[in-house]
Amino acid sequence: MRRRHALLLGSAVLLAVAVVWPNRAHLAAFPDIIGAYSAKEYCSCRYVSGNPADYCQVYIRQYIPIDLLHDEPASRTVTARGLGRTHSAAWLGPREGCRLLGETPSAP
Amino acid sequence: MSAIAFSVRFLLAGLTAAVLVAGRAVAEDWPGADWTRRPVAPGPALAAFEAYAFPPRDDERSGVRSDAVVAIRDGVLVYERYAAPTTADTPHLVWSVSKSLLACLLGVAYGEGRFGLDDPAARYYPPLAAHPALHMRHLLNWTSGLAWEEDYEYSPLTSSVIAMLYTRGHADMGRFVAQHQAGAAPGTHFSYSSGDSLLLAAVLKGMLPAEQYADYPWAVLFEPLGIGSAVWERDATGTFVGASYAYLNARDLARVGLLMLRDGRWGEHRLLPEDWVAFNRSPVPGYRPRAESLVPGGHWWLNLPLEGAPPPWPDVPEDTFAALGHWGQALYVLPKEKLVIVRFADDRDASYRHNDFLRLARAAFVVGEAP
Repeated sequence: MRRRHALLLGSAVLLAVAVVWPNRAHLAAFPDIIGAYSAKEYCSCRYVSGNPADYCQVYIRQYIPIDLLHDEPASRTVTARGLGRTHSAAWLGPREGCRLLGETPSAP
Repeated sequence: MSAIAFSVRFLLAGLTAAVLVAGRAVAEDWPGADWTRRPVAPGPALAAFEAYAFPPRDDERSGVRSDAVVAIRDGVLVYERYAAPTTADTPHLVWSVSKSLLACLLGVAYGEGRFGLDDPAARYYPPLAAHPALHMRHLLNWTSGLAWEEDYEYSPLTSSVIAMLYTRGHADMGRFVAQHQAGAAPGTHFSYSSGDSLLLAAVLKGMLPAEQYADYPWAVLFEPLGIGSAVWERDATGTFVGASYAYLNARDLARVGLLMLRDGRWGEHRLLPEDWVAFNRSPVPGYRPRAESLVPGGHWWLNLPLEGAPPPWPDVPEDTFAALGHWGQALYVLPKEKLVIVRFADDRDASYRHNDFLRLARAAFVVGEAP
C-alpha cells in the first residue's frame, strides 16, 4: 500500500516536472501578462485613441481580473496590478503613443 | 467661308480640346485634405448592410461590433458611419493591419533600392546572424521557419506574441524574435507570425541612416498620402512595433487602400514599384489552401482560389485583397469594383464573417440593390 502511494507520488512529481520544466520561462512570465497588458492597452486607449476613461476600463477587461488600475493624467502614466505583479505604461508623444515601462518593484 | 465662321470653328476646336484635357484631369478622383463625398442613396441594400454591420450592442461584448466603416468608390467617399466613442477623428488601433502598412513602408524602401527580396535579413539586422539563409522574401511571406507560437487569448502561457508585447520581449522585440530557434528551413513552411513582421521593422532600421528611421513612415508614406492621424508605437530601442501597434483614423487608412487599389500610384507619383505590389498580391510559393482561411501573399491577404479550392470569400471577386487585424480590423481592396472599405471593430467573439460583410457592402455600394 505504502509502495503504491510512493509510486503514485513519484509519478505525479515526474509529470509535474515534465510539464513545468520545459515551460519554466513561460510560467515565470505568465503572472506579468495581465498587469502589463492592462497598463499598456489602457494607456493607448485613453491617450492615443482619446477614448473616455470608462470606455477604456471596459475595453481592457479580460477573464483574469486586475486588482488596481491607476491613471496619472498629468504624466499620462498608467499603472495596473494583477496576479501580484505591477506594471506601468506611459504616453511618450504624438507619434510614439504609449510604451510599457520596466517593471516597478513595488505596488504604489 | 467668312472669317467669323472660321473663328467659331477654331473656338469650338479649342473648347473641345480643353474639355478633353479637363476630362482626363478629373477622370481620376484623389482625396485632397479631405475626401470628395457622394453618399450612396439610402435603400434596402444599404439598410441590409447596416443591419449586419451595426446591430444594437449588448453589455456582453458579443456579436458584430463595428466601430467604424468607411467606403471609397473609385476615389470618392460613398459611405461612412461610426459607433461611439469612435469618431471620424479617432486614431483607432489597427492591430495586424499594421503588418500591411509596414509592407508599404518596405515597398518604398525597395523602390529606393535599399534591399532586394533575396538579400539575407541578417545583412541589415545582425542579431539574425544565426539564420543566414533567412531572406527578406521569407519574412514578407511569413515563411521564416522560426519556431514561433502565434496565439493570443487561447494560449497565453506559450504565446510568443504575448511574450513579445507584454513580458519577456517588450523591451527589445527584435532581439526577442531573433533568439527563436529555427523550426523549419526558411521558405519551406508558411506560418503566420507577428515575429516575422516585427523583424521586418527591425531590419528596416538597419537599412536607413540612424536619424531617418523614426520619421521614415511619415516622410515616405503618411505625409505623401495626406495622412495626419497616424501613430506608430515603438519598443524601448525605438523599433516600430510593426506587427501590431499602428493607429489611424478610418478615412486615413482608406488612403492606403486607394494607394493599393491604384497599384502603388498616388496622383502623379509612384510610391510603390509595380513589381512590389505584384509581390504583395502573389500567393506564398507552395502554400496549400486551408478551409475558409485567406491566402497569404507578401504581407497582404488574398482571395485567390488555389488548387481547385473555392476563393476564401466566394461572394466577392477573386482579385480582392485585404489587410486584417485582431478583433475585426480590416482594410479591404476590391479592384474589380474600384472599392476600398475600412472596418474598425471590437469583435470579441467569432460571429463576424468577412464574406457576409463584403457581400452586403458590395450590394450597397456597387450594385445598389438588395442582395
